[in-house]
Formats: sequence, C-alpha cells, structure tokens
Amino acid sequence: MHLLKHLRQLNGLQGLRQAIRQVSSAPTKPSALQYERDPQPLFTDAETQRLLQSMTQLNLDRVYRKRTVPDNSSETKFMTNEQLDSEFQDMVVRAQHMLQMPPIVEIKKDVQRVIAKDPALKDFASTKYVFTDITFGRRQSERKVFVRETDGTLEYANLDTIKRMNQLYFPLEGRQSYIPRMFALEELLSKCLTEHKYEFILDRLLVQYEPHEPEFHNISARVFEHLNESKQFDLLRSTRHFGPMAFFYAWHRCIDDLLYDMIRRDYLHNAVELIALSYKVHQIPVEYEATLTELDKLHPTPSQKALAELRSVFRRPEDQQGIEQEINTAIGKTEQDFAADEISLKFIEQYIASEHSLKKVQLELAVQTLKEVNREKLLLFQGLKKAHGVQAS
Amino acid sequence: MNQNLIGRLFGQVWRANILNCGQNSFISKQTNALNKLCLRNTSFFNKLPAEDIWRGVTAVSNAGKKRGRGKGSGKKVAKDLNKGQTIGLGKSSRIWPGLNSPVIRGNELIHQKKLEENIDIENGIMKFRDSMGTFRLMKLNPIDRGWSGSKMPGRSIGPPDTVGEEEFISFDTRVLENKIVFIMKGNMGRKRRYSVLSVTGNGKGLAGFATVKAAEVRTALRKSKNRAGQKLINISLCENRTIFHDFRTDFGKTQIYCFQKPDGYGLVCHRAIQTICKIIGIRDLYAKIEGSTNLQHIVKAFFIGLMSQRSYENIANETNINIVQQQKTRNGYTEVKGIPSYNSTLKHINQVVDYMHFTLGNKIVLKQKNILPFFVCTKGHELHQIKAERFRNQSNVRLHKLVNSYV
Repeated sequence: MHLLKHLRQLNGLQGLRQAIRQVSSAPTKPSALQYERDPQPLFTDAETQRLLQSMTQLNLDRVYRKRTVPDNSSETKFMTNEQLDSEFQDMVVRAQHMLQMPPIVEIKKDVQRVIAKDPALKDFASTKYVFTDITFGRRQSERKVFVRETDGTLEYANLDTIKRMNQLYFPLEGRQSYIPRMFALEELLSKCLTEHKYEFILDRLLVQYEPHEPEFHNISARVFEHLNESKQFDLLRSTRHFGPMAFFYAWHRCIDDLLYDMIRRDYLHNAVELIALSYKVHQIPVEYEATLTELDKLHPTPSQKALAELRSVFRRPEDQQGIEQEINTAIGKTEQDFAADEISLKFIEQYIASEHSLKKVQLELAVQTLKEVNREKLLLFQGLKKAHGVQAS
Repeated sequence: MNQNLIGRLFGQVWRANILNCGQNSFISKQTNALNKLCLRNTSFFNKLPAEDIWRGVTAVSNAGKKRGRGKGSGKKVAKDLNKGQTIGLGKSSRIWPGLNSPVIRGNELIHQKKLEENIDIENGIMKFRDSMGTFRLMKLNPIDRGWSGSKMPGRSIGPPDTVGEEEFISFDTRVLENKIVFIMKGNMGRKRRYSVLSVTGNGKGLAGFATVKAAEVRTALRKSKNRAGQKLINISLCENRTIFHDFRTDFGKTQIYCFQKPDGYGLVCHRAIQTICKIIGIRDLYAKIEGSTNLQHIVKAFFIGLMSQRSYENIANETNINIVQQQKTRNGYTEVKGIPSYNSTLKHINQVVDYMHFTLGNKIVLKQKNILPFFVCTKGHELHQIKAERFRNQSNVRLHKLVNSYV
C-alpha cells in the first residue's frame, strides 16, 4: 500500500518535472539581437582577434584570482633568477590560454537526412533505435549517430540526439543531461543577472551548450544586453568573455556605452580599437589601419605589459633611470603614453563627430574631462622632469 | 532448597544437551555435568559475603590511603534520590503480589490490594534526603570548559592583574597544567604544593607563559597568570594567521615539527599547542610531536621554535635564492615572497635546495607504518573484499545519478 503511495507521489513529481521542462523555454526564447549572417569568418579573422585580445587586456591578478578548489594548499619553493623568469613567461602563456575566446558561429540548422526507407520494417518495435559510433578518440562533431524510426525509416539523428548520445558515452565534466535549473527557470536567471554574476552565467553556458546551439546565442545575447544596461563592463575585463561581448556590440551597433566606459577609465587605446572593429564589421570607409599601427608602436601588447609587470621584481632601487621610473609611476603615464593619447583622442573625436555615434553629448563630455586631466598630468610630468634634471627626449 | 538445587542442575543438563547435540548418551552427559559443577565456582566470589566483596572493589586500604590512592571513592556527590527507596513501596501503599509480597500464602492466592496511608515512610525518605547535605555539582558552561570535564587545564582564568597603570586589555590566560608536587622539608616532611603552568596573550602575537608553585590552587593560578603577564614575547605572524615557514624545534626529548598551512585549515596539533596558538592568534597550523609529550617541554619547544622563525627576506638573503609561493586556489600563480638584496655578487648556485628541507633543518618527520587491523590477513576478509569489489563505486554513481537527474 505504502509502496503504491510512493509510486504515485513519484509520478506526480515526474509530471511536475515535465511541466518545468515545458516552461523552460522562457530564458532561451529568441532574443531581438541575432546574427543575421554567419559571423564566424569575421570573428576568427586574425586582425579582429588581435583587436579583441587587446581590448580584453591581461590583468594577471584577475586571471589568477582566488577560486574555490577542493585542495587549497600552497607550495613554497626556492627559485633562481633564470627559473623565476621562465616561470613568469610560462604564467603569461597560461594566462593567454585561459583567455582564449569562445568562438562566435552561426546557429546550426537541423536538417533531416534520410538514408533508407524500409516500409517492411514498420512497427518492428514500439520504440526508436539509436545507433552510435563509439570509436575511441573521435571528435564529438564527427561522431556518427543514426536512428531507426518505428515506421522503418533509417536516418541521421538530429543534433539534440547526437549531443545526448555524446554526453551518454563520453560525458563532459560539468555538463548535465537535463537543462540546469538556472537556464530552465526565468526567475533564477534574472536573479543571477541582477546580481551581476555575468561571468558565472557565461562560464556555465559554455559548459552546458555548444557555440552553435540556439540556446547559447539567446542566453549570451541576453547577458550582453543586460550588461549594456547595467554598464558593469569591468566585470568581464581579463576574462574570456570580453572579446565576444565587444564583438556583439560592434555587430549590433551599440558600442557607445562600452566606449564611454573605456574613455572614463582612460583606456583610450582600447576605445580606438573598438571603433576600428565596428568600422571593420560594418565596412565603413574610414581609414583606421594607420592609426592602429601608430598606436601599436607606442603601446606594448597586453602579454608584453603583463610580463614587464612581473619582471619588475628584478629591478633594483639603485638602478639607473630610477628617477625617471619613479616619475612615471607617480604620474601613471610615460612620455609615450601621452603621445599615444593624443593620436587616439583625435581618432575618437572623429568618430564622435560622425553619424555613427549615438550618444554624442555624453561621449564628448567624457573626452573633455579626460583631456583636462591629461593636460594637468602632462604639466606635472614636465615640471617634475625639469626639477629632477632628467633630459626630455 | 533441595528442590531448587535439583531444578537448577537439570536446567544445566538440559542446556548442555542442546549445546552438544552429540552421540553421547543422556546419562553419561548427566554425570559429566555433575563433575563440572563440583569443580567450578571455588573462588573468593562464593566464599566472601557481598559486603566484603563490595568493599574490596570500592574502598582503599589504609596503606593505600596514605599514598594518596582512591581519591574518587570518598568524593562528595550530588543527592542520590534513589537512596532509601525500595521497589514496591511508594506514595500510595499497595500490595503488589510478587513484588512486595508472596504470590501464594498457604493455599490462598493473594490479590492486588490497597492498604491504609502510611506517611511515615514518605517522611522518613525526606528526612534521609535532608541529612545528605546540600552539596551541588558545579555546572560549567560548555564554553568555559577546559580540555576535560571541570578540570583546570585548558580553562580560561582571565587577563593578568593590572600592574601600576599598565592594563592587560584584550588579554586572556589559559591554564595548561595544574598538578600537585611534593618536596621534602627538614621539619615538616613531605610537603605538597600545587604547580600551575599557564599561558597568556592578546591574540595578536603577544604572549608569555610561566610555571608557578604555591600551597593553594587559587594562589598558584593567580601567581602564574601574573608572572606570565610579566614575561611577554612578541611573535610576528604571517598574514596574521599562521607561521612564516615550516620549522622543527626541540627541547629535551621533545621534538616538534610545525607546518605552515593555508587559510581555513585550522589547528591540527596537540591540545596544548592548540591552546597556545589560540592565545597567540595563530589560526592555521599543523604540528607533529615526536618523542616525549611532557607538557612543559612542549610549551618551551614551541615558543623557542616560534621565536627562531625568519622572514622570507632573511632566508632569501641567507641562501641567495628567490623564494616564491604557488597557491592552488590561484591556479598556480607564482607569488614572489623574498628576493635576495645583493643578487649580482653570487650568480650561480650549484646545489638546488629544497625549501622544506631547508626550513626543517634537513630533518623529516618520522612516518610510522599504520598497524593493520587484526582481520586484514584472514580468509573471511579476503572473501568479503572479493564480494564487495563490484559495489565499490556504487554510492558515488548513485549520488551522481541523483545530481544529474535533478531538474
């Protein structure tokens, strides 16, 4: 009797689960902003990648921040200078690897491909039969899965079935067979968004879905839209999601908020790159390559900058150029930076003046404030140099 | 009486019959049982009366008393409400056949019956309880308890008393040892005193300890607390929570190996070291004691070890090599802790030194082999292992299934 009761309860639960699954389409409903053509060739283009990487920046403290791990032990070691230097280089390489951007590709369409129709096999069984090639070492994308329908049709399995079979035989760690609750229930996802847990959502999204799935596109678009409203872009800086985010804004012509954030934080170099990216995506006939090459000469790449910062531990206080270094650190800028700022400001103002920018007043104000601050800094810089008798080059 | 004995004897025989279900005849077994009965049961147990036996267990001989044995027996205890009460006699006096009266008297079966009230018994019990004295067991708040029960070691006795205008704010003192010691005096003979070892500190790296003897426990506690306050030592803490590096330290036959541990590890060490760490402000530490666990020696060795710690910078200068730390929580981020100040003079270091060996002074903790349980090499255990092998991962799989099917 009791057993029966339990069974009935279980059935009731199952019904509830199914109900949830039906409702589940809420967070994954198609967003307004979608890639209307295949963005992959443009995204994987070498120049785009370089721009996105530069915009992402490389803050090692952010990349190697504290995370919750089962074993939180630490190891103290002796290292010679050579070992330490190679360790630094290795760290930067590892950080770059960790910042590898997830690709932006087109949504894959499900196409029915029938291999054979055998009406003689109709009703041979009450269920479908799925055949999976479980050869070891084959890629998930090239694994063959077929389905024999109950009406005798033999066909290629649809994408959903292929993913399920792959997960069944070669499970990926962290990926669930069912939709995780945070992607299934609208209130959970919106709670995550209001708490600004953008990186967490995007990381989980990457684990659960493939980049060519519609859910991946819809949820990531939703996150980026929410980010554009909350303007917490700094939360994604130095993570692997900053590049796709910038690309998303550039593609959908809404870079102005991000641009404003970059100017306000004095990342003028990045602002120029963002504008160049949007020119490139929409094929606007403005010459940006010359400015970029000029800036590249003055600016080190993010990895070079990170490495230099790491290597600064080797610097001795009694080294030469000590005074110049001190002035640079006190002001926060070097002579090259001032030169680069001038070039980038010119380019940005040109963009603001054009018809492509949407929030002109706001951007202009930000540029003006920055200019004033820069001028003061430059005066102080020159004054300090003169006082210490450092030759102006 | 005789009947009773025979009945018991047959009972024995009947039980033996069941147990040895064998080929022997009934009669032979009976004789066997008789023989066994005669041989058994000759000890003090059936020679002495119950009173003597109980005294032997609970009391101490005169000679023993002189040597201070059996302190537990004569102790004051809280009122024992069971004393003076008899089963079957209660507030309402009744006859319970089989309990406080025989079931059959002559040929008559006795029934349950109520008797007239008897207040004397009740009054007698109350009077007896009053005569027991008003001693109460001291109730200790669980937070104030020491290492064991209401004993002093491990308990807090407050900050040291103020000296002049010097106040010991935010200090706390804990007793580590409280014992009786004897010395021989010319005219008084064996004289006993109380010896108290306590440690005081402010939880921020300032701590001191002292051993003091006095004729009374209270005096000893107070004196030791105040003297510990006079002997403060400054101990610098790494990140305000742990030691700077692993170290090995000894005092007498006691050796202590201490290990620096990450945040949240806790204190995994001897209880005395735990108490000292809490007083000093160390939160994460692993310590292993080798050799003697004499408490005074442990305390001294640990303090010597703490005082002889060196900073990262010092070690780097001494060895002329950089010191780095790699944390697993930060995905192996290499944090530079110490860099030698005169790097250029000595460029090449021939021998590569292991940091832990260096800090432990080239000693390692003795790894003792675990003693296997007695059943490991038995046939039954082998069989069990074979049977249990295919279920060895079952609980994990079940859990995983539950997690995965959770919608």
